[in-house]
Formats: sequence, structure tokens, C-alpha cells
Amino acid sequence: MTPYDKIVSAAKEALITAATTFREDQYRAYERAVERETNEPSRWATQAMIENAHIAAAKKYPLCDDTGIPHVILEVGTEVQLHGNLIAAVLEGVAAGQRVLPTRPMGLKGSDEERLSQRGGLSDDPAAVVPPAIMVRSVPGHELRITMLLLGGGPEIRSQTYRVFHERSAENVIREAGRWAVEAAARLGCTPMVPCIGIGRTHYEATTLMLQAMQEGDFDHQNDWEVMVADMVNSTGTGSLGLRGSVTALGSFIKVGPQRASGVRIACMRPGCAIDPRRGTAVLSGAELGE
Amino acid sequence: MERMRIETPIPADMASSLRVGQAFEIYGKILCGRDAVLPRLVKMVSEDTLGDLAAHLEGSVIFHTAVSPAGIGPTSSNKVEIEGSIVPLSTAGVRVHLGKGAIGADTVSGLSANGSVFAVTPPATALFMDKIVSQRVLAFPEEGMEALFEVEVAGLPAIVAAAQGESIFG
Repeated sequence: MTPYDKIVSAAKEALITAATTFREDQYRAYERAVERETNEPSRWATQAMIENAHIAAAKKYPLCDDTGIPHVILEVGTEVQLHGNLIAAVLEGVAAGQRVLPTRPMGLKGSDEERLSQRGGLSDDPAAVVPPAIMVRSVPGHELRITMLLLGGGPEIRSQTYRVFHERSAENVIREAGRWAVEAAARLGCTPMVPCIGIGRTHYEATTLMLQAMQEGDFDHQNDWEVMVADMVNSTGTGSLGLRGSVTALGSFIKVGPQRASGVRIACMRPGCAIDPRRGTAVLSGAELGE
Repeated sequence: MERMRIETPIPADMASSLRVGQAFEIYGKILCGRDAVLPRLVKMVSEDTLGDLAAHLEGSVIFHTAVSPAGIGPTSSNKVEIEGSIVPLSTAGVRVHLGKGAIGADTVSGLSANGSVFAVTPPATALFMDKIVSQRVLAFPEEGMEALFEVEVAGLPAIVAAAQGESIFG
């Protein structure tokens, strides 16, 4: 297999993993939620999500029929020899994964006007759902890491990126983003949720940091701010599926980046749904890449 | 949790007996549609041009979902084109609107006035795969996965979230 083909295969497998698999920390978060949930309908819905994940993993079915928009993060080791066709190989792998799974054929056809108004029809090809611009980060070492995040539509309806006046208090910033998550909780529907928050200097940076929060977040290791945001959401009593209960958020993921000398911070909050974060990562060594 | 068995088409007296928090399983043919087709159905109801579709609506369940090779699962029922369809389609005989997310007070009262209910179901697509018996496009094939589908299900689980003027969403 050529290095190109290895990248295609790795990207494909990362996408399939993201679409079909709960991680171990995700299962543990759900098991803790079932233990804590006191309202029977909410506990039933939470248990159904666990059963759904087991079936999805065993049969390679999508966790959710909204298989989402694939977002790709490449972490390129400083010692890795890059080829110009890296991105092409990753995109080919994404398309291959979408066709094999299959993902939902929801790519819109036509001109700007036709796509905006959804009057140009839909493509039958699941791979017509192309990823937005790929995020590339440089990291130390000899490895290429390909992370696939699948972003469904429900959380996108209720996400926001906006300025926060910090007034010399980090907690002010986190609490404001937490309030956005609280507002999103009831109307999201697919709870228990996981608010994912990025805080940076620009809207672009805040959004990329939010994606990094989705990439790196761990339900087993929650810092004080992440616990605080989850507690704020849980205090709403929204529960699983909005059926009322004690567990509305399984946790939260927060990534803080560089900040500007200013009274303003830019926060991006995406209220991840019950199956978030859907992520899969494949790692290729320098040797596999033909160094 | 004990679940009532509901078979489609649903008699009006059964629908009007449902209460918030009632768990049930659906057996039989249901309709599946979402943002693209529900407003078109509403327009047909208002213009009295449903034709053969009218019989499909009477006593029906409409599941707010796309239908694709990736399966079925609830989309947000509080999107404007979907929530806006709930009361008008209740007047045309839809007894259960199945989806997810909080709906507004006007919708809750409109459901009640027509003897219909709103129910929610988990985003459990893999779990639902084995509950699909058959599926076919019923109308608007040009909308692709957002066409109006008729799907036969066996044991699709749900819980009533709004009925009789009451709502679990407060």
C-alpha cells in the first residue's frame, strides 16, 4: 500500500469510527448518568442511548441518522515529510468512508441561490457532503494524526459565537458561555448534552478552539470550569430528551487559547448533543508515510 | 417502564386519552417528513388539494425525520417549518407528531384543541434499524431524503411530551 493509500484508508476509518463508536469515557459518563438519574422516563431515554451505541458499534450502523458534516483536523509532526497530495488523500478517505457507512445523502446541488433555498435538489451521493476547510496544526514528532469530527444539525441551530466582557474575571467569561448552554438545553431535544466551548481573540479562533475542545475533551477528566458549566446546565432539570431529570449534561469541554490585550473575549459555544463528540482519530507513523 | 402498544391508524378516542409521560410503542405504517415537505402538506390542507394523501393523514403518526440509508431519527421539531405544521396537520387528522425538543405554548394548546399529541423519541438510529419493516416514498420524491415517506415500524418507542394542554417542557 502506498503512503497515499494509507492516508486514504486512515481517514476513512477515522470517519467510520466517529460515526459508529462511543469512546470508553463516553460509556462511563452515560453509566454515571443512569446511576444519578432519578426520573424514570429520563433514565429510560439515557439507557436507550447506551443500547444504541452498543448496536452501532457491533453492526457498524450510524449512531444517529444525521451523520453530520465531517470536520477534519490534521496534526502534522514536525519530522513528518509532507507530500502535496496529503489533503487530496484525506478528502478521498472522507468520501470513501461516507459511501461505505453509508452517511446521509444531504449534499445540496445547484447555484448559490438554489443551495440557499434548497430548490436545486439533493445529490444521491453521500460523499457530496464535503468537509469545510481542513484545520492543520503542527505538533512535535514523527506522526500524522487525522481526527474526524462529525457535526450534526441540532447543535448548530443553537450554537453561538459572540463577545464577552471579562471585567478582569475568567469566571465571568466561562459563566456567560455557560448561560448560553443553559438557554440551549431545553430546545436542543437531544439531551444529555455536552457544551463545547472555545475562547479566543477572533470568531475564527474561538470556533477552532471549540473544535479542539471537541477533539480533546474527556468525560473522565473534567476541570473546575467544565464541572461548573455542566452543573449550570444540570440545574435546569431538563433531563434526557427534555423529559425532566437530574442529568441534562454529561460534562462540558472547554479550550482556552491566546487572548488579546482588551476587555473583550470571543467565546464559541456549541451545545453538543447526546452522541457528541462524534470523533475518530487515526495515527500514521513516519515509517508508514514512507520516510 | 411499561409501554402502551399503539397501532396505526390511531382511533381518535385513543389519541385523546393519552397523557403527558405516557410511554408507548408504535406498530404499523407511519409517515416520515420534515422541513421540506411538511409545509407543502400544510399548503395542500389549506387549499383542500390533499387528494389521496388525506386518507394517509387520518389517524396517522408523523415522525419528524429524514429517511435515508443512514436510517431514521428525530430532528428538531421546534424548527419553524416543522413546528408550524403541527397544528394545521392535526386538523387534517394527524394524531401523533413525533420528534424532539421543546415546542411552544400555542402549539401545545393547538394540539389539545384537535385531540392530538406531541411525543419524543431518542436519537437512537442504530436501535431503530431493526424496528423498520418496510419503507417507500409516498410523495415529493424530488426532495430526496426529505421526501414524504411511509415507513412500517414494529415497536418504535416514544413518550408523550405534550397532550391535553399540558407539556413536559413547562
